[in-house]
This record gives sequence, structure tokens and C-alpha cells, in this order.
Amino acid sequence: MARDRNQGEEYSGPLKRMLVGLLLLLLLGIFLVWRIDSPRVERFRSQVIDRVMPSFDWTMAPVTGAVNLLRNYQSYQRIVEQNGELRRELQQMKAWKDAALQLEQENARLLDLNNVRLDPQLTYITGVVMADSGSPFRQSVLLNVGARDGIIDGWAAMDGLGLVGRISGVGQHTSRVILLTDTSSRVPVTIQPSGQRGMIGGDNTAAPPIAFLEDADLVRPGDRVVTSGDGGVFPPGLLIGQVAKDPGGRLRGRLAADYERLEFLRVLRDHGAEQITDPGRPVTNGAPLPLSAAPEESRDG
Amino acid sequence: MGEHPFWRLWSMRAAYLALCILLIFFNLMPLETVPRAWAGPDLLTGFTCAWVLRRPEYTPVLAVAAVALLADLLYQRPPGLWAALMVLTVQGLRARAVSLRDQSFAVEWLSVATALIVLALSYRVILALLLVDQAPLGLTLIQLIMTLLCYPLAVLITITLFGVRRPSLAEVNALGQRL
Repeated sequence: MARDRNQGEEYSGPLKRMLVGLLLLLLLGIFLVWRIDSPRVERFRSQVIDRVMPSFDWTMAPVTGAVNLLRNYQSYQRIVEQNGELRRELQQMKAWKDAALQLEQENARLLDLNNVRLDPQLTYITGVVMADSGSPFRQSVLLNVGARDGIIDGWAAMDGLGLVGRISGVGQHTSRVILLTDTSSRVPVTIQPSGQRGMIGGDNTAAPPIAFLEDADLVRPGDRVVTSGDGGVFPPGLLIGQVAKDPGGRLRGRLAADYERLEFLRVLRDHGAEQITDPGRPVTNGAPLPLSAAPEESRDG
Repeated sequence: MGEHPFWRLWSMRAAYLALCILLIFFNLMPLETVPRAWAGPDLLTGFTCAWVLRRPEYTPVLAVAAVALLADLLYQRPPGLWAALMVLTVQGLRARAVSLRDQSFAVEWLSVATALIVLALSYRVILALLLVDQAPLGLTLIQLIMTLLCYPLAVLITITLFGVRRPSLAEVNALGQRL
């Protein structure tokens, strides 16, 4: 019997080995192509996700809901203390609400005085978070809106409170948002009262560090961090969070967006700031330049 | 076994694929959007090792490669590399499956641990050589250790839930050869 088996393997063995070899070549080939020409392979990846994820969606929503329900149930155990805490917080909030209302009225009055027009192009598309990146090493989420809804690579994604990340990878029905906490995320920022510019770059922690500040002494914990709009990455002035100092003395951004509960994200339509490319010409009211000006120009040039 | 061996083989192959897709699916659920300081076990790898050491014929190379490539694409990993290393590891374990059959579980655990450590190391080394951005080393180590700690659990589930045991000496395949 042992001989039989060996005979069987004599024929199938080399064939199998060749199959495995071909498979390995194919896989390593995909990896190398990705390393050399990653946009094309990334496009393929987003096509695959586009095909696979919607078919998971109908089961994913209820299961996620059920797990979250269970988690919430655990918090019922300390419902009494929570109630007390909430009451205390509510009282504080009432005071804040009054302050906010006053400020809102004041703000409206000032805006009216200045005749300020807020940017009318800042409209948004809202998407639902379908999935996260599935691995602890990558911080991204998948939205259920894609190229079909007019999403374009590079737009900003926010929740109601602050910036969450950047669209990177758009499929027909889905798009991926690289969160600010991902290691590949870099966003140019301004620190508000001092006007210092810097970069906030994710490092896989909940509070990404702020780097490249000109003068870090001018920045204090609690300052507001907003996007600066440098490099046309994002529209300027989107809230990111507050400055905080970690025990090592490094400045980090405490994010305003609620990363614990990313359910709905707004993708801001951003058509880019208008560029001024015209060097400026003499105003001639449509008439040709007087003749005397022409030789002067050629001498200057 | 009452069923025909042919149906048994293909239904178990389908079960393997279904298990893998279920694991990927649970990993993708949007439950954790905050970066964590720790990483869960890579159950996909653990289960694949457990299956391949018990019944190599239930985990054909093509299925392993397809599942690993799908995971690469969905988990935002560099596509292909993990899948290729996974195929190498699985083939290595497959070759040892027969000799490990009459050993104790500790020996099996040890050899799986060696294989996975080599797998993780070579993955990181190749990525470093090609200057690809990498996850922090700590996270990779935690994930590796968690995977190894969860391996007995994966084996238990494989045996009890799916009934994938090491073939006994009396079992024969469709052609009447010993397994």
C-alpha cells in the first residue's frame, strides 16, 4: 500500500509543486507590481472592496448593532452613578448653554455688521461608516458613498464636531477614509491664537503628535488646532481639536471628532482654492496698447 | 462515516472557506475605530495552521492563497506578500503534517510557533528591505503572541465544531490508500 501511494505521488507531486511555485510567483508578482506602481493596484483593491463589501453590508449592520447593544448593556450595571454624573454635567451644561446662546447672538450681530458671507461652496455629502480597516495597524473606515455620489479623492471627511480624515481611494459605491490617526496621515495645521503653522501626523495612537512648529513655546495646551489649507490639502479653518502635552513633553492634538463612535461622516465638497496665474496686465479698457509702450517692453524683456 | 468520501471532502473544503470569510467579516466590523494599544490574535492564520496539520486535503493551496490575498486586499496590507509567505508556511507545515501526526500536542504547538515566528520575521524584513511603511514592532509582537496563545482554542474549535481530527490509522481515502 505504501508503494501505491508513492506511485500516486510520483505523478501528482511535481505537478502540485509546480502549481505552488506558480502561485508563489503570482503572489510575489502582485506584491512587486504594487511596490512599483501602487496607484494601479490600489485602484484594483478599491474595485475588489467595492465588489465584496456591499454583499457583506446586509449582515454587518445587524451584527454590529447587536454587539454594540451588548456593550451598552454592560453599562447598565452602573446606571445609578451614571445618572448622578449626568445630572451634575447637565447643570454645568445649562450654564454653558446660556453662555453659548449669548455668544451666538453676539456672533450673529458681528457677522451682520461685517457683512461676512460664509463660503457657499462648503457643502457636504453624508455617508454611513460600513467597515473599519479590520487590522490594528491601519486606521481607516469605509463609507457607503463613492464615485457614483460624486466623491473625489482628497476631500475632507468630518463628523459633526471635527475633521476625521481624508478620502483616499474611491470605488463606484464605496470610498475609504484614512483617519488622522493612521501612520500615513499628514495634515498641515494652524494653531489658533498664536497662528503657528505645523503638521499633524498620525502615529497609530488616539492623539497624533504635532510637528514642524516654528516656535513651540508660543503654543500652549488647550489651543485650537485647525487645518491651515497649505498645499491645497484641505479647505482652511476646519476644526481638528485641541493641543495637549503628553508626559514626554511632546505636543499632541486631542481630536475633536468622536472617534469612539464614527457612524455618519460628512464629506466636504472641495473644489480647491482659485489660483491666480495671471501676472497682471495694464488696464487698457479693451483698446490696443499705445505704440510707444511696445519698444519699451522689448527693451525690458 | 455515512457520507460518501467525495462529498465529505468538498463540504469540508467549503467549510474552511466559509470559516475564513466569517473571520474576515468579524474583523471588518466597524466596532473599533479608535487606535488600540494592543492587537487581537490573527485567527485566520491560527485556524489555517490547525486545519492543515489535521487534514491537509481540506485546505488546498489555492484556497489558502485566495483567502490570504483577499485578506491582504481588505485589510489594507501590501497585497500579495503576506499571502505568498502564508502559502510557503502552509506548505512547510503540510510537509510535516504526517510526521507530526503521532506526536503530542506540545510538539505541534511548538512547530506552529516556529513557523509563525519565521513568517512574521520574514514579512517584516522584506517590508523593511523594500522601504514600505510598517506597523509598530510592538503591535506585531503582541499579535504574534496572541495568535500563539489562541492556537489551542483554534484547535479545540476545529476538532469539536468542525470534527476535523487527525486521521486514524484505519482510515483510507477514496482510492483505498492509507491517509
